[in-house]
Amino acid sequence: MANNKISLEYKNKIAYVGFGFNSTKSMTALDIDTMTELQEIVEELHAKSSELSGVIFHSHKEGCFLAGADINLIAGMKTEADAADGSERGQTIYNRIEDLTVPTVVCVDGVCLGGGLELALACKVILASNSPKTSLGLPEVKLGIIPGFGGTYRLPRKIGLPNSLDMILTGKTLRADKARRIGLVEEVYPRENLLSMAPNFFNKKAKNKGIQASFKELATENFVTRKIIFQKVRESVLKKTNGFYQAPLKILDVMDSGMMKGRTSYLAGEAQAFGELCISEQSKNLQHIYFMSEGVKKYTGPKSTKGLPKLERGAALGAGTMGGGIAWLMADAGMQPIMKDLSTEALNLGLKQSSQNFSGALKRKKITPDQFERKQRSITAQLDYSGFKKIDLVIEAVVENMDIKKKVFSEVEKYVSKECLLTSNTSSLSVQEMSKALEHPERFAGLHFFNPVHLMPLVEIIIHDKIAPETIEALHKWVLRVKKTPVIVKDGPGFLVNRILVPYLNEAAYLLEEGVSVKDLDQAALNFGMPMGPARLLDEVGIDVAVKVGKVMYEGLGERAHPSQLSSKLVEKGLLGKKNAKGFYLYDEKGKVLGLNPDIEELLPKEKKKVSEADLQMRLFLPMINEAAAILKDGIVHTASDVDLGLIFGIGFPPFRGGLLRYADGEGLDKIHNALKNLSESVDAVRFFPNSYLTELVESKTTFYEKTR
Amino acid sequence: MSMRDVYIVDGKRTPQAKSGMDLKDVQAPYLGAYLVKHLIDNTEIPVDAIDEVIFGNTGTPAKYPNVGRVIALEAGLDKKTSAYSVHRNCASGMEAVSQAYIKIASGRCDVIVAGGVESMSQMPLIYNKEMTELFAKLMKAKTMGEKLSAMSSFRPAFLTPIVAIEQGLTDPFCGLNMGQTAELLARELNITREQQDTYANNSHAKAVAATKEGRFKDEILPITVGGSLNKLLSNDVGPRENSTVEGLGKMKPYFEKKSGTVTVGNSCPITDGGSALLFVSEEAVKKYNLKPIAKLTDYHFHGLEPERMGMGPLLAMDGVMKRVNLKLSDFDLFELNEAFAAQILAVGIALKDKEVAARFGLNQAWGELDWSKVNVNGGGIALGHPVGSTGSRLIVTLIHELKRRKGRYGLASLCIGGGQGGAVVVENLIR
Repeated sequence: MANNKISLEYKNKIAYVGFGFNSTKSMTALDIDTMTELQEIVEELHAKSSELSGVIFHSHKEGCFLAGADINLIAGMKTEADAADGSERGQTIYNRIEDLTVPTVVCVDGVCLGGGLELALACKVILASNSPKTSLGLPEVKLGIIPGFGGTYRLPRKIGLPNSLDMILTGKTLRADKARRIGLVEEVYPRENLLSMAPNFFNKKAKNKGIQASFKELATENFVTRKIIFQKVRESVLKKTNGFYQAPLKILDVMDSGMMKGRTSYLAGEAQAFGELCISEQSKNLQHIYFMSEGVKKYTGPKSTKGLPKLERGAALGAGTMGGGIAWLMADAGMQPIMKDLSTEALNLGLKQSSQNFSGALKRKKITPDQFERKQRSITAQLDYSGFKKIDLVIEAVVENMDIKKKVFSEVEKYVSKECLLTSNTSSLSVQEMSKALEHPERFAGLHFFNPVHLMPLVEIIIHDKIAPETIEALHKWVLRVKKTPVIVKDGPGFLVNRILVPYLNEAAYLLEEGVSVKDLDQAALNFGMPMGPARLLDEVGIDVAVKVGKVMYEGLGERAHPSQLSSKLVEKGLLGKKNAKGFYLYDEKGKVLGLNPDIEELLPKEKKKVSEADLQMRLFLPMINEAAAILKDGIVHTASDVDLGLIFGIGFPPFRGGLLRYADGEGLDKIHNALKNLSESVDAVRFFPNSYLTELVESKTTFYEKTR
Repeated sequence: MSMRDVYIVDGKRTPQAKSGMDLKDVQAPYLGAYLVKHLIDNTEIPVDAIDEVIFGNTGTPAKYPNVGRVIALEAGLDKKTSAYSVHRNCASGMEAVSQAYIKIASGRCDVIVAGGVESMSQMPLIYNKEMTELFAKLMKAKTMGEKLSAMSSFRPAFLTPIVAIEQGLTDPFCGLNMGQTAELLARELNITREQQDTYANNSHAKAVAATKEGRFKDEILPITVGGSLNKLLSNDVGPRENSTVEGLGKMKPYFEKKSGTVTVGNSCPITDGGSALLFVSEEAVKKYNLKPIAKLTDYHFHGLEPERMGMGPLLAMDGVMKRVNLKLSDFDLFELNEAFAAQILAVGIALKDKEVAARFGLNQAWGELDWSKVNVNGGGIALGHPVGSTGSRLIVTLIHELKRRKGRYGLASLCIGGGQGGAVVVENLIR
């Protein structure tokens, strides 16, 4: 047999099965060829089992055991039957592994996810390396599917129901030591010792469980408590997902109803569920997001002929919430940042912000107390520009004022080296205009983070006429390095995300002025899948900030962005949102919502108007789609996926919808176009006038995605 | 051997805080690392071009046996950077500086960071001998019976801890506590309680004025403090604005309870702090385009009887002035550590009194010390004495004040527990 993907060697009556054989890729995935080879190997092992003392599965690739099934394979599934069949074929191979009469030990070093962990579960003993790269998990739910190679069957049998539900429903991954603690992994060794230790486990009897574990088992492994567990978990899933996500519920169905079934009939249920989920629109949308996020990792901007500037040391100018968050990000990435502001009080605010972020990580045991101390102390908070000579990347986050920002940049340029990149975290000011303050604008860009920095994945890289290609590429690389999602955006009012967000918030305010209640309005957005309603979001952003940005947009885009007067009225009354505990809602000192703010009512019409939820959603989301069309027309970004990625990672546009423009494409652009036209007649001729880009798409019978591919 | 010139590019220190106060949670390496990072960041010297990092520290934390190396790494210097720690008791920071001097002067090194750190707040309580032996027996015991028998030897008194700091401040050779050595000098030289209290009060007044007028701004680098590391400490915690001679006069003698004159008020407090200086050769000055503040001219260490350790500066100053061929009047500024008011006053007496000087083996008196040039911004009594750091802290303060005054020569000196003195001469280059 010719082995291309998997090696098979026999030494001292032991069979060694090695994945990642002959592979140049950094990650090994289970593709068709690998599965076919695996099947042949397993059959050979069955045939030779009488001559063997044991089988050891391992990987030739340091840092990756198996990253799971090839996602292109999953994405390629066209029918339910196809997908269910694919799942069954995998299950069969894994069953054959489980049924081997010789001892089987799997040595996991590095990534062991999805189909990889399911394979490991089919072996009798799992050993893992203590490498920080080692991680085990079943992340299928994140793609809207169910583990389809017997994972939901075998995991509970290995680690009990509560732990396995936690792993399968969240898709989280475990490090080796944690996996050992919950009994998934038998023992942990240094990578180099895994293979030599494995034979010791061939004849090992199951460990005697401790008293505590036995009690736990007694409490969870009986019919009644299992039913209760399923019910509780189902409730919590519904609460967390608002019922928008099918996969976790489907997984619960399979596991719950399969409780008393034998292997064959259980796995049939799993395969069927896999088939249904795999081709569902929701899963396709989630897969779409996966492909988009992978796609964004490839730099597609202008290529530089020069080497890229190294970005090793960072500095944040301004120590507010954003400055502190940026300093935190840099410190976490080992950039030993300088944080500069004008007063010690201001610096303390920034230190507080980063300390809070690190404390959170400490509480979640993501970092040790020593790491907390080292990382937090690696931020130098100071009042002057000393040490800026050594800085490679400056991110400015001072007040949103063009003159002040210009002054800051012409000042800082005197203190940094020629190679240092200078960036602004402005959310609304023109980067083009700002670049004029610099002697060397080619090393300048906008770098727009979203608040709060540690939670929001998106970073807009704003470019301008004079920017050098190496500046863009270096920033793109850096954003990925700090584990954020970059989108390259041409300068323009509101850049990408805010430009689409503002029409949404603006329309919300118009609806309120027309007499729609705050409750109905926010509920309509929530039921669409938004993480919060527009009124709540306005509170979060700061109503004064929204007014400011609204003005910028109006100046830049003209009448269609004419701001509703409601927000200005709120600001006049001192209702600024969450920051001063009163906006559309009231907040307690911890920022928790106490309820609607009754003071709002005197600014709103007494007579309430009832509008259907679907109509409210149209009013809110059509202007966004229309503005997105304008953005593509203006070349602010070039592809529909840039827009969709931006909105999902920038404002939490519901991932299960795959993105704003994917949603529009799915609804049908002619339908969207008609709805806009109708609203332009019934509500406002300018705000809803369909953008010519959209009209052209409709006329040429194409979609956002097809057009911008 | 011809010696090269040794330049001080810059020097920085932490704010100093009485132990148990604002710096109590800061572990020793973190009192130095950020200073080193700042000193190097401020130059064009790359992080892999530092030949040596040397730090003085006396209360070696169990977690950091070589605190110098930890400082080098936490400061972000290249991992190949050689680094070590030195211990010459109260002069550990000065010992670090003197080694930097020798290594550059001799041509062996070009760039060295030297300084000192001390977290006296974090000095440990130690199990006494009996308890330690019990632990040893328990470790050796194999059977349950042996273990039980070992346990049964336990007595509550075994839990009485040894206070490391208290033991460290008692001379192992003569058995006197440091305060008692100051009492001895006060008795022998007739230094009165009032003289001591007046001196101490003056130290506070000078330190308070210096802080208010921002004279420490160039030398203090604010440090991140607090349980969750979320605020900056920019000023010393120690100098008392409301200090009066009368108030000090009310305090009870601490070391000689019945008839003594040395009180907690006229002694230096137990303190946390760190300091660091960047030393370079002339070649490095040119290579990295540096603008040094001062030159380190020379140093001298000298021993004497442990029970009169407070007179150490007399012998160290005598030695270094002879070595560099300068006299008291050549100096524009002195930074002399105030371990005890009695102790520094005693040094003043011995410098001018030939008979007293002779008791310590000097064949001449140097003359009257111009007290208006001594510790112009306050001294150890107000600012505190973080043992491992003071030796280099004095030099940090000295170069910045000399620069401000456009003076030329400055001298830093201190007494050393165990019976020694150390002194360093610097020459200001920014005049």
